[in-house]
Amino acid sequence: MKTKSAIYLPISITVVIIIFAFALMIGRYPITISDFFNSIFTNNNNYNVQRSIIVTLRWPRTLMALLVGMGLSVSGLLYQETFRNKLVSPDLLGVSAGASVGASIAIVLGLGSVIISMFSFVLGLITVFITVVIAKLFKDGSSTILLLSGVIVSGFMSSVLAFIKYFADPETTLASITYWEMGTFQRALMNEVYILITVIGVCVLVLLSISWRINLVALGREDAQTKGINYNFYRLLIIVISTLLTAISVCFCGKVSWVGLVIPHIVRLLVGRNTKKTIPLCLTFGGGFMIICDIISRTFTDSELPISAVTGLIGTVVFISILFSKRRELNEH
Amino acid sequence: MNIKMRNLSFKYNYRSNTDIIDDFSLVIEKGTINVLLGLNGSGKTTLLKLLTGLEKPQKGTIQYGDKNLEEIGIKDRSKIFSYVPQHSNVTGDILISDYLSFGMTNRLEFYQSPKEEHFILVRQMAERLSVTHLLDKKIGEISGGERQIILITSALIQNTPIIILDEPTSSLDIKNQNVVLSLLKEIINEGKTIIFSSHNPNHALFLDANVILMHEGQLKATGPSIELIRVERLKEVYGDAICLSEDLDYKEISFKNN
Repeated sequence: MKTKSAIYLPISITVVIIIFAFALMIGRYPITISDFFNSIFTNNNNYNVQRSIIVTLRWPRTLMALLVGMGLSVSGLLYQETFRNKLVSPDLLGVSAGASVGASIAIVLGLGSVIISMFSFVLGLITVFITVVIAKLFKDGSSTILLLSGVIVSGFMSSVLAFIKYFADPETTLASITYWEMGTFQRALMNEVYILITVIGVCVLVLLSISWRINLVALGREDAQTKGINYNFYRLLIIVISTLLTAISVCFCGKVSWVGLVIPHIVRLLVGRNTKKTIPLCLTFGGGFMIICDIISRTFTDSELPISAVTGLIGTVVFISILFSKRRELNEH
Repeated sequence: MNIKMRNLSFKYNYRSNTDIIDDFSLVIEKGTINVLLGLNGSGKTTLLKLLTGLEKPQKGTIQYGDKNLEEIGIKDRSKIFSYVPQHSNVTGDILISDYLSFGMTNRLEFYQSPKEEHFILVRQMAERLSVTHLLDKKIGEISGGERQIILITSALIQNTPIIILDEPTSSLDIKNQNVVLSLLKEIINEGKTIIFSSHNPNHALFLDANVILMHEGQLKATGPSIELIRVERLKEVYGDAICLSEDLDYKEISFKNN
């Protein structure tokens, strides 16, 4: 069991690297392996077109897909462990609903894509802050109150979004809002990727350093605290990191559903319930899965498919097949 | 070191008029085994939670040696008290060897996880309690009795001078109750202080324990079980529902005291 789970990480890292390389070659303009190496590792001017496609189009969007997949998967895992509920996804405390409202306000106001991202990020964080403040008003430290507060605030934000959509111009802004809500990596820029790398990198480093302790937080306050963990501090830290990861992920590419829910389940089915193993695997599985979804979204049709539509389809197929192959262990989950 | 509780009062709801723990004072001596007896709702679990620091008293103080418990941080407190809750929240999909290693938490820095040497300690303790065959199983795969033993093993791995258990026998059959009580008897020989709550006065007699009799959040009586567990005394708390087995018109089955 132990040796088996130790193998998954190096294998999945190798697979992600291979998928990443393929993502740079596959697309509406296919690039062969020899062209790929010539355009990347030589200065030959005959490969300028390929080089330009790889460097300016595919490299930033594939990197962004990788990072967003990592961020959303690990954030979903953290929420599921902290709230001890496997049906929870990273937008539980309202971060996605808030981000959608932020983005749609910026779209309606006709602001540029940088401002849309900023509005979305800030409103995502503000929404979670409101959720936490409302939960605090009850003077009850339980996770149930926090979850309930998240549902209420998310519901409120969805209503605000509905109002904005109702008043938006159906020809232009409404279409943009709807498109944002389904997610895309089409407009990925390297500047955005640098921001993502910094934020996700720092969050992941903190998470990896406390990855074993998250197991204890998942046991609940009584067990965690009597075994020597400052439960309230760690729970808050995990919520802050998960919220940051989700907000920064969705602000550049729009709402991406399913990944945060499905990848943690798949990883847990493979290696069991130990965050020291599941966190690194969520990073590799989530990143790889998202790159595959991005390849599919941009390759098979003339216009790009929204990323959430692809994640839903592929996620369902992968999830059902893994559930089926692991059905004996399901009773324990 | 002794534990001194002085005029403890506690209620969960600030607006409530009645205290769950009401002006409770008691000294628990080092190296003794103490059984908390009392009706449902008499405050047994709450008192245990106050001792572990899971709840803070609104009035009064708890001292461990010459230190006030509120001044001791969470990590240091976990080096003094280990706690086996009545309903542990541990979920069925956790590997038992992983769960037992959680008992090492207070010996590790925040960025560390248990190493091979820690798992050797886990294995040694599991061998002592004859549960090595369970190490590679998941919590959900073992019986209620085995689960209770695993929770106690985890507390022993935590290696604290005081072990607090909330109704450790409540969900167990008579054989497993005997296993758990015998285990507690064995632990007491190591000089550890044990405090646990129970609904069965016979447990206190079986262990020759010190009894802490609680009623409506107050200390009703305390003393050696042999002196305190008497029908007329227990009737003050449990009412007429209690009688000596020799007054029954059938022979009662009980534990065998080895």
